[in-house]
Amino acid sequence: MKKFIAKRLGSGALTVMFSIIFNFIIIRLAPGDPATLLAGKDNPNPATIAAIQERYGLDKSIFEQLLAYLQQLLHFDLGFSYVSNRDVAALIGERIVPTLLVALTGAIIAVIIGTFLGVYAARKKGTWIDQLTCAVSYLFDSTPSFWLGLILILVFANTLGWLPTSGMYSLRNNYTGFRYFLDVAKHMILPVTTLVLLNIPYYFRIARSSVLQVMSEDFITTLRATGMSEKKIFNKYVLRNAIIPTVTVFGITLAYMITGVALIEITFAWPGMGRLVLDSVTKRDYPVVSGVYLILSLSVAIGMIIVDLVYALVDPRIRVE
Amino acid sequence: MPLLEIKNVNIAYNTADKQVKACRNISLDVYEEESVGIVGESGSGKSTLAMGILRLLPENIIEVSGQALIEGKDIFQMSHEELREYRWKTMSVIFQKAMNSLSPVHRIGKQMEDIYRVHYPQEPLENIQKRIYELLKIVNLSDRVYMSYPHELSGGMMQRVAIALALIFSPKLLIMDEATTALDVVTQSQILNEIMELEKKLKIARVMITHDVSVVASTCKRVVVLYAGEIMEQGDVKDVLLDPKHPYTQGLLNSFPSFKGERGQLRGIEGSLPDLSQDIPGCVFAPRCPHACEKCQKEKPQAHEIKPRWSVSCHLIKDGESND
Repeated sequence: MKKFIAKRLGSGALTVMFSIIFNFIIIRLAPGDPATLLAGKDNPNPATIAAIQERYGLDKSIFEQLLAYLQQLLHFDLGFSYVSNRDVAALIGERIVPTLLVALTGAIIAVIIGTFLGVYAARKKGTWIDQLTCAVSYLFDSTPSFWLGLILILVFANTLGWLPTSGMYSLRNNYTGFRYFLDVAKHMILPVTTLVLLNIPYYFRIARSSVLQVMSEDFITTLRATGMSEKKIFNKYVLRNAIIPTVTVFGITLAYMITGVALIEITFAWPGMGRLVLDSVTKRDYPVVSGVYLILSLSVAIGMIIVDLVYALVDPRIRVE
Repeated sequence: MPLLEIKNVNIAYNTADKQVKACRNISLDVYEEESVGIVGESGSGKSTLAMGILRLLPENIIEVSGQALIEGKDIFQMSHEELREYRWKTMSVIFQKAMNSLSPVHRIGKQMEDIYRVHYPQEPLENIQKRIYELLKIVNLSDRVYMSYPHELSGGMMQRVAIALALIFSPKLLIMDEATTALDVVTQSQILNEIMELEKKLKIARVMITHDVSVVASTCKRVVVLYAGEIMEQGDVKDVLLDPKHPYTQGLLNSFPSFKGERGQLRGIEGSLPDLSQDIPGCVFAPRCPHACEKCQKEKPQAHEIKPRWSVSCHLIKDGESND
């Protein structure tokens, strides 16, 4: 087991390393130049541009820049934003919490509801309940997130006025303590609902097909032939076998969730990582882009290691000696 | 009284647009401590028959008629509670794919414990474990199998686990559905020998479903030849396999090479199984039978007894011909 974890950590570190280098190069190969953008549209003074380039080391070759960046990373320094001149680590730090709040809450609610519905539909296979849940799941699966978000805003915020349209907290009132918590929770409802509705179909389909597949396995027939009750067969043997794909998918989506919620964050003006990425890419704020992708690849790598470990826990066939 | 008495059993699968009659008018007896081999080519209905009398077929898509009496009680008429009592205690089953016969994510011993508790929920764990270790010993497996997962064992070992599991309540009837087909011949003969010893010791009757006539020849007392869901011929192995009366049995035996004697031409049977969703007025084998006459096409042959417990369903027999 120790060897297994060490191996996974090693490959995880390698993945992160590669993604740092790739992201560093790719964003710099994209058209557009931060120095020109910073110098201002109306006054493209070549001397100013050259000064900015020199200041940020943009006049050096990509390879030299990369070496300098890696050296800086070794000191746990993500650098400073070109645009706001703030520490990238601090910038990410204040954005990652709101993103995790929405992403984790949404993912957990979606996996619970989706799996429950999938298992239920599988048990009712072929009935109208099964057909209805399948149809609804396909409907949500093909719905764009921003559209669903806008419709929810339209109905629950604009028309009914029950919930706030956007943001994370009320700007007019300076709530503290429990009232602040309630205020944030209220702002979270619509973005989380959007995320949940869009993610339920994955878990629904996986749970449903996995339960159906396990129920047709030979060992289920063996257990039936022994006279074991259907309830026991289902609760102990079908579910334990059927849950394995859900664990995998949950882990993978969790890892990608931080990027996946970007569109929803933009729709609801949620101050998370998604908007930070979008803003920094359009402004060619290289340190922020690189920093964000470093954090993302790190979270994906860690997520995958956790998935592997949990996977080994539920499925004995995976355990590596 | 036979242990298992199958009387005029018909089993049909209902599909969206047609009904496939997989077993037609099947009657056979299995006496205590008797071994019966059911042979036939793929699609002849042998597995449907076994799964049917175990009531393991999905009940919403099948139609069953006739009787299957186990110790005089009709399996088809049993309530779910009554059926539960009979399952595994009176009749147990071993399937072909032993590798998949237990859950891959639960330890083998734990699953056997669960199965033991199906019928004796109050039994102390100590006794159950003792019984399981005893069974593992009977089938020549080491104690470590108890805590193993199915994927950690070989196909032959899993087949032994399946046998141990089938013997857990010392049943009166053991049904083996192609149980050794997937094994290599060496392991197969080892396991078959062990089973024959065990059933002598434990007084078990065995129904063996296989397409391998040689397995039946070496391990069974009686043989039932099935074709397109109907019984062509049944009798003692030493009668039927040495002097087959039915043209289909003859064809089936000719499809196997013989180790002894002349190396003759290996002959199969021309043609293929008839469409089982159609009603067949005459003999089901007539379209492929080299001896078929006009009567065979029009009228279904009855089972004619050649001697007690040896019967053949063929018009040619009634006419007194030996059609060799």
